[in-house]
Amino acid sequence: MSNLWFLYIFFAALLIFTGLYCLLTMRNLIKLFIAVEIISKGVSLAIVATGAVKNNILLAQSLAITYIVVEVALVATALALIINIYKKNKSLDVRLLSKLKG
Amino acid sequence: MAIQIILLCGLVIFSALAILLRDLIKAALSLAVASLLLGIIFFRLAAPYAAVFEISVVAGLITVLFILTIALTKKGDEITEARLVKLAFPVFLILFLVIDGLVMKSLLQKIPALPSGPESGTFGEVLWKQRTFDLVAQVGVILAGVLAVLALFRKKEEDKDE
Repeated sequence: MSNLWFLYIFFAALLIFTGLYCLLTMRNLIKLFIAVEIISKGVSLAIVATGAVKNNILLAQSLAITYIVVEVALVATALALIINIYKKNKSLDVRLLSKLKG
Repeated sequence: MAIQIILLCGLVIFSALAILLRDLIKAALSLAVASLLLGIIFFRLAAPYAAVFEISVVAGLITVLFILTIALTKKGDEITEARLVKLAFPVFLILFLVIDGLVMKSLLQKIPALPSGPESGTFGEVLWKQRTFDLVAQVGVILAGVLAVLALFRKKEEDKDE
């Protein structure tokens, strides 16, 4: 069981690394948000896999469902923000955001 | 075990494609395929409810939202990413693979996790009776999301009226 847990957490860490790399290096706002989604996939994989390995799959599933609902609310809000930023700046370049005053 | 490894490798490959592909529509579709694979992994881990949510909500709804946003922001594709970013990604990934393989096993023994032991009852009992407060919080989060989207778009309409 320990090996199985290691396998899932290993791949979850890989997903989180992939997302973090994109967050740190990319400039397109939509790409950055895709990176957030990839990180959240890694987290939900870690939650469900840990639950399955530790015989707590029912609790892990309910936590994963809560997490997915939070993710959807986050996506809806963030994409609305991205559209608003695009309407204002006519670009999705994240570097332009540093020019904002306020 | 072999099928699980193939599914997990596919998940990482499609996630990597989602950030490396230049075309945003293709990137969003890669993300959807990654969600689908994650849903299949959940099914195989005996978590059917989480799998259904993952496939219907994340692979379905979120992909639609992404494609809608990409369609509304057509010039998003024109941003050029630094060339070094894509070239350096495999190098960093291999470096992380090695570190992950070496460190994770010893870390797992130290990290506290959910207690082992058989669970009683059904999924419905756990979700509705044990995690009732989570459900209340979920309703709050959905309401907050809806209000945030309404507020963000209402502001624009007021600007147009002026």
